[in-house]
Amino acid sequence: MTNHAAHLFSIATGSSEPIYRQLVDQVKRLVAAGQMAPGDGMPSVRDVAQALALNPMTVSKAYSLLEMEGVLNRRRGMGMEVAARAAPAQSAQERAELLRPTLERAAMEARQLELDSDTVLSLFIQILKEQA
Amino acid sequence: MTTAIIQSAAISKHFGSATILNGLDWQIMPGQVIGLLGRNGAGKSTLLECLLGLRETDSGAVRIYGEDVSQLSDATRARIGYVPQKSDLFEWMTPRQMLAYFKALYPRWNDAKVDGLLARWGFDKLMQNKAISKLSGGEQQRLSIIRALAHDPELLVLDEPVSALDPVGRREFLRELIDGVIERGTTVVFSTHILSDLERVALDLAFLKDGRIALQGRLDELLEGARRVVGPAALLDKPLVGELRRQRAQDGTVSVLTCGGVGHGLPAGTAGVRVEPLSLEDLFIEVTQ
Repeated sequence: MTNHAAHLFSIATGSSEPIYRQLVDQVKRLVAAGQMAPGDGMPSVRDVAQALALNPMTVSKAYSLLEMEGVLNRRRGMGMEVAARAAPAQSAQERAELLRPTLERAAMEARQLELDSDTVLSLFIQILKEQA
Repeated sequence: MTTAIIQSAAISKHFGSATILNGLDWQIMPGQVIGLLGRNGAGKSTLLECLLGLRETDSGAVRIYGEDVSQLSDATRARIGYVPQKSDLFEWMTPRQMLAYFKALYPRWNDAKVDGLLARWGFDKLMQNKAISKLSGGEQQRLSIIRALAHDPELLVLDEPVSALDPVGRREFLRELIDGVIERGTTVVFSTHILSDLERVALDLAFLKDGRIALQGRLDELLEGARRVVGPAALLDKPLVGELRRQRAQDGTVSVLTCGGVGHGLPAGTAGVRVEPLSLEDLFIEVTQ
């Protein structure tokens, strides 16, 4: 079990995505990729707020959401840890949700190009087959 | 029910024939960390000065902690910290003398905090005994911030607090604001043009335009809810849900700013209409221009 340092995170200002959202997505990706394992300790809200120069409320909002979604657990006593339900146990549907932001961007560009759904979907299926 | 710390009702301010504040209503609630945005000359400094009673309003009323701002008690004054955009006062004094002068005015004064900040922000012995007029703009601004934080205010009002600071100085200031101010539950109101700093610390935003608060809300909700809907006029002839403003380009394209209007009232995936999320900078431009 590792205790992760606050420098694990990075955020970008000037994005249309709120900072708490960026933190939530980052933790989910790290957990899904196995870089964060069940039982790993999360850096404290205060440490993350100091390291990234963020309002602590923003960090605790991200942690609370992750707790609600079952990604993190509140430790007895202090701090948060990665929940026991590890990446492989995540359902396909949950993992697919992680793809949503990327697909939303693709969907926006598809609309800009005025492509219909069938054309876009068949292209995506083709790309999936090429990668397989 | 929580009561507002600052309550302004229909305040107006004119300079000659120019209307700067136009019947402005605003409330600051306890514990809020709120960024005040607006274009140059929109009246942000005037508004902050009127809220603190440093400038008389032509009409309307401001109350701070329930007291009329023109007759604040010493006890209430001691709860407020203010960093003006530019302070020309006390230039003949040294930082040491100026801080000693202010210390005498406040019942509560945090010497440990002042010494810590002076040390961390590069005020060595030599600099502490130099006339303030001889300090650089950035050094004067840091000193002004130290003075405002020294009595651990419960309400901190900052007018462009980092305009003269370099990126390192700004980051140090943000860390101090986070650690020494926000963590204590201090209510903070600040104006700035540096949106990246604002995004890091502000939880609420207020846009000043045409002498009023044109838009206010949680930063997260504004970013998540704001959309620019662009398309041909024929498709966007009806007002959209949550519409804030619309603009027509020369080629007949209409661009509509909406906020919080889920679905915008358009049929899903209307061909030829583009819906884009906005960054804070986009939002600033859309709301204030």
